[in-house]
Amino acid sequence: MSETVVMLLAGGGGTRLGILAHLRAKPAVPFGGMYRIIDFTLSNVMNSGISTVAVLTQYKPLSLMWHLGTGEPWDMIGRTRGVKILPPRTGERDSDWYRGTADAVRQNMSYVDRFDPKEILILSGDHIYYMDYAPMIRFHREKEADLTIAMMEVPWEETRQFGVAKTDENGRIVLWQEKPEDAASNLASMGIYVFDAAYLRGALGRSSGSDFGHHVIPTALEKDRVFAYPFQGYWRDVGTLQAYWEANRDMLDPASGLDPEAWRTRTNLEEAGRLGDRPPTHIAPPAKITASVIGPGCRIEGEVTRSVLSPGVVVGKGARVEDSVIMHDAVVGEKVVLRRVIADKQCRIGGGAHLGSGGEGVPNEEFPKQLFTGLTVVGKDAAIPAGAEVGANSILFPGLRERDWPSRKIDPGSTLRA
Amino acid sequence: MQHRAFSATIPTSPQRRLGGPAAPLSEELVVPNVVAMILAGGRVDELSVLTLHRPKSAVPFGGMYRVIDFPLSNLMHSAIEQVGILSQYRSYSLIHHIGVGASWDLIGRNRGATILPPQKGVSDTDWYRGTADAVYQNLEFLDQHDPDLVLVLSGDHIYRMDYQPMIELHLREKADATIGFVPVAREQAGRFGLGKIDGEGEEGGRLLDYVEKPEKPEYTWASMTVYLFRSELLIRVVSENARKGTSWEFGRDIIPELIRSSRVFAYRHHGYWGYTRTVDEYWRCNMDLLGENPAIPIEEWDVRTNLDNAGLRDRGPAHFHEGSTVTDSRISSGCRISGTVSHSILFPGCCVAKGAVVRDSILFSGVQVEKGAVLDRVVCDERARIERGAHVGCGDDLTPNRAQPDLLRSGINLVGKKAVVPAGLRIERNCIVGPNTARHHFSADRIRSGDLVS
Repeated sequence: MSETVVMLLAGGGGTRLGILAHLRAKPAVPFGGMYRIIDFTLSNVMNSGISTVAVLTQYKPLSLMWHLGTGEPWDMIGRTRGVKILPPRTGERDSDWYRGTADAVRQNMSYVDRFDPKEILILSGDHIYYMDYAPMIRFHREKEADLTIAMMEVPWEETRQFGVAKTDENGRIVLWQEKPEDAASNLASMGIYVFDAAYLRGALGRSSGSDFGHHVIPTALEKDRVFAYPFQGYWRDVGTLQAYWEANRDMLDPASGLDPEAWRTRTNLEEAGRLGDRPPTHIAPPAKITASVIGPGCRIEGEVTRSVLSPGVVVGKGARVEDSVIMHDAVVGEKVVLRRVIADKQCRIGGGAHLGSGGEGVPNEEFPKQLFTGLTVVGKDAAIPAGAEVGANSILFPGLRERDWPSRKIDPGSTLRA
Repeated sequence: MQHRAFSATIPTSPQRRLGGPAAPLSEELVVPNVVAMILAGGRVDELSVLTLHRPKSAVPFGGMYRVIDFPLSNLMHSAIEQVGILSQYRSYSLIHHIGVGASWDLIGRNRGATILPPQKGVSDTDWYRGTADAVYQNLEFLDQHDPDLVLVLSGDHIYRMDYQPMIELHLREKADATIGFVPVAREQAGRFGLGKIDGEGEEGGRLLDYVEKPEKPEYTWASMTVYLFRSELLIRVVSENARKGTSWEFGRDIIPELIRSSRVFAYRHHGYWGYTRTVDEYWRCNMDLLGENPAIPIEEWDVRTNLDNAGLRDRGPAHFHEGSTVTDSRISSGCRISGTVSHSILFPGCCVAKGAVVRDSILFSGVQVEKGAVLDRVVCDERARIERGAHVGCGDDLTPNRAQPDLLRSGINLVGKKAVVPAGLRIERNCIVGPNTARHHFSADRIRSGDLVS
């Protein structure tokens, strides 16, 4: 697949992920114990035998840049292999921030041109899935398509979040609706596009549209060959806190279809925090682990139930961690109780604190659309004082210090800032 | 190179090679050029099937490491950046593990890890005859790096040590050679080279006497096989030893002699020092990673390993399935546990199925324990498979192993690489199942204590 170049759109801010994407782009949000969201797409690229990738960044790209490193974790290093990060830059005009997906690609076509690819595969770094892109590219060639879009059936009630399409018996798309109120089909776009390179160059030159779903695809449909490539299997958009939490929970259920190791998903073990050097996790007496996934370098002395723990997490004696996602090097003190908590890296939860108990039905006051399902979110590096009681649907901002706490008891639906 | 100031000056060669450390700024500030040589060659019979395919220094340890990772990580933390690894026995596994040295930051303009295998030289048989001979045969390596000091280490011990304070002692005392010692229990002492150290100094003192493995030990400070030599002296003594030696070992031929002719100091190491000469010791040393306050504080040691060789790059987090029970164990990436695991060490990618029990055992990478199987005090080499309902380690008949009666007598069973223990089979104690043993190799459904199957 050396004739294919990947452009991976990793610019998104991920506002609906709240404080998890406060300091990093959404593709860089940690997931599933030791991965970042973008690892799934990068590993798919590697496992599909594609070796040239441009990663288009925009929003808070630092974590992502550290994470990608030389590209070596995904075998993208060598004479003809590589990962390049393409940040926005000033061009002829002053402000050339990417205005949308198509605009980001348009601004970087000159990078792609030097490889003279046959196809350009456009991916997003926001999804958890396994897919071999090679059959899709073969399908694209067989159909002599200008554009092929990977699509899968989704529950009808979710169609509003996607571009949906109707196809003819050959798989050619005959109708396209972008995020429709009233969908004519439940065949939804996964945001995976194979373009004939010359066609894409022409299409982006002819129009000034900034978004694939809104502008490029509807225009293409009128006279060009646009096909839907059917996909079946595990695929999840982890764009909301609830979806993020549920996808992490899928790690615990062998029947869910989510199995990064079987998918040969790789991550960068050498980046800051050097996950690879963490010693094997110590399940120390008197720990009790039930139905959980735990990364290396943890020390567990408490009870962990139906939870996902990233490397280096410490769970003290008598603590109970239930239905939670705890990221790297978080310290859960003795006798702490966590229920449905998403805790970002390096947060420190003082002894005896209770988080996420009570008020599951009270939406977050400030961000009612982000947080209303009973989760509690703790930001990176936040300090939770010993003995604190925090109701559900609360947000504790990154970098929170003990002095930022008005009292030890925080009502459900609260937001505390540093 | 970590820049340290030393009050003592040491002679430096006038014409330093390009690429060596920068010339000293003043006579008072000298950073010596130290090169390390790791003795990693030995095949140690005592570890039986575990060293059938690899030298002892490449034996897996502690859930993801190899024994040699410990000295290599010590060197990295001590900012010693040129390392020669003297290897003779089945070195492929070691060569693969060292790779380009990047795992220990031993890569760069002035850094490197070089495997030094025996070479055919002027005379016909040039296998390493002993540790001193191995160094002698690689004087070219020293010549190339032209060090001031040479640190000779064994690749077989589990410990964390900063070699710099030892180097400082050596320079301060203007020593010719300095040897690391640890305190050992008197009843164990006879198995080591023992030293008599002058005075009670915390750091060490002049080495007054040295006896290799005495039958009636008088001293309780044991040599760690950590030797620091002035380069010229080392070259001289191993060259002489090559002609006149009898054992070609540092401990027998060289150190006792050197005490009489040169300034030899002892450096006292305080801290954990694990030796893994026998299966029993190997097992106990691994178990030191467990407990409420593990004797090996591995989290603090920052030990590096080759992630590719450990098979870690393709592993996800460990899965603890519904119904699993895990107590006081080390569990590595990619393990999937549905059964019961207690007081055990699991390397990456081990599976323990429902109803299976793993107790007081060490499972190397990729070991499969099927439904209802029981392991009690077993060391299982890579990718061994214990089939349904098999029971390894049962009964209390401690008949020693007939092949190695002195070494396998405490009840531990060894299962070799890729061996299959057939469903329902019962293996008692002190047994060895050879590598690649398959179902048809087992003629009975019960293997008696002390037996050997291969």
